[in-house]
Amino acid sequence: MSSLKPFSKLPGLNTANILLVESEEQFQQSLADALVEETSVTVNVRLAKSLPLPLENEESRPRIDLVVFIINLTSELSFQSADASLKYLDPGYFLGKVCFLVTNARNASVPTERLDTVRKLAASLHCPLLFAEDQTPDGVTNATERLLTILKVAAGLVPLATALYLSNLTQCTVPLDIDQPSFD
Amino acid sequence: MEDSTRRVLQRLIRRIPTPQLKTTLEKWSGMTVAQRGSMDYTQTKWALTEKLLSLCEENDWTTKHITELEMIYVIDNPNQGMWHGFQLLDPEDDAHSVELTQFKEQFKSHLGELVRHVSVKIKKHTDEAVWIRIAWGDSFSRPNHLKPTYVVHHLQTPYVFVTGLTSKQKPLLSQALVLSTRHHTIKDANLSGRKLTAIRDLLMKQYQQVFPTNFPSPLAEKNETVSNPKIEREQAGPGAHRHQMACEAFGDGMLPQLQSAVYKLETKFKDHTNRTMTERDEPFKCIVKFESTNLLESLRYCAASGIASTPVTPLLSSIPLKGRNYFVITDNGPGPSSQMHQSQN
Repeated sequence: MSSLKPFSKLPGLNTANILLVESEEQFQQSLADALVEETSVTVNVRLAKSLPLPLENEESRPRIDLVVFIINLTSELSFQSADASLKYLDPGYFLGKVCFLVTNARNASVPTERLDTVRKLAASLHCPLLFAEDQTPDGVTNATERLLTILKVAAGLVPLATALYLSNLTQCTVPLDIDQPSFD
Repeated sequence: MEDSTRRVLQRLIRRIPTPQLKTTLEKWSGMTVAQRGSMDYTQTKWALTEKLLSLCEENDWTTKHITELEMIYVIDNPNQGMWHGFQLLDPEDDAHSVELTQFKEQFKSHLGELVRHVSVKIKKHTDEAVWIRIAWGDSFSRPNHLKPTYVVHHLQTPYVFVTGLTSKQKPLLSQALVLSTRHHTIKDANLSGRKLTAIRDLLMKQYQQVFPTNFPSPLAEKNETVSNPKIEREQAGPGAHRHQMACEAFGDGMLPQLQSAVYKLETKFKDHTNRTMTERDEPFKCIVKFESTNLLESLRYCAASGIASTPVTPLLSSIPLKGRNYFVITDNGPGPSSQMHQSQN
């Protein structure tokens, strides 16, 4: 059982590599198609259903600069799968090279506790939590732009910025009264 | 003209949606070309009905003509009402040589012996199916044409599809069918659905099936869409394997549009935290029903995407394998370690 390590390989010139983890394998495809359109840097996308990644791809896999866990809030399974995958990541990744992307958060059928659980998870790992709309092309474009911003920093392509510095600014925080009943 | 004929015609016209009315009437031989031309289909349904009733008066149509019109409509639009599948068992030696005229005569005479007042109409459809319309009466009343039973049988196959049959008429129809198709018994195939085409395709296995193979298809790379070299799937192998397993269980391509599957559980309640329920002697009865616009497609997707585990559990894969969508599940034997199994019914 090998865990994925952030610095075990050399980086490529002007290249950023992103790993999208989604148990449903729906949104990741459209997101990947949009991500590789980026022209200023070469973006390589790896898609996975869950971690750990298969050993036989170890050789061909480039250095992964950013790991994105896509969580569909309407499905409990999606969250559980992401949660179970986290332990196959090297702790080094949590210094700014992991982020969570939540979809379907506005769906009425989502229990409110589930979003709180995801929020707590992201906060406990000091990771940013992004929200995305996966049904519309605009939503995909937006999510792509946000991910590219983080990815470029995480890959070290932005002068004077590091992943750790950015994640200090963007990490998810849990409001203090999250467990309190609201009065609305 | 009799009043009952008018009622049957009125009821029939009400059932047929206006867009289908034209095509249905054109296939029917009851009207002359001039009469067909005089119909104005932009009129309201009520006006059309009045017009047809006056034509009925004029042409002196009998119930026979009207039932023919009804058959034309039902054959063209079979996906209405609940269709049930039946299977004929133990064929006699000459069962495979039954042909249409012989079947027609035999069926009519056998049914006529069982029920005095019955009206049977048999029509052969282009796709080799024999359509039978039965209007039932009993010894005191004349055949009721408002609630007919439709039977579809493909000659030389053991399958029969029935809609609109009551439990009282079931033994009569079974006996007539068994005798005229030269079989010994008939049993319920435990398959029912709103779409006749779907349950027919499922029972007769008329869909693209995938068989287990050790070698991946040599044309596999052809089917793949041209993907970007920058995008790579880490778990492409297991994904393709899951897809293959799902296709082996449910078939490839377009699947029959089955809309529901029912599992009747009569098993022991097993939960260590709930002693009162676990220690009960009688089985815990409940019904699990799956519904979808295309159930098999949904199940295949569940298996292919990893939501349901592969290899597919026999509980789900026996829907296409055995061609049924009603199962009774009982415990295999006494004792808490017994496995669930499907009863053979």
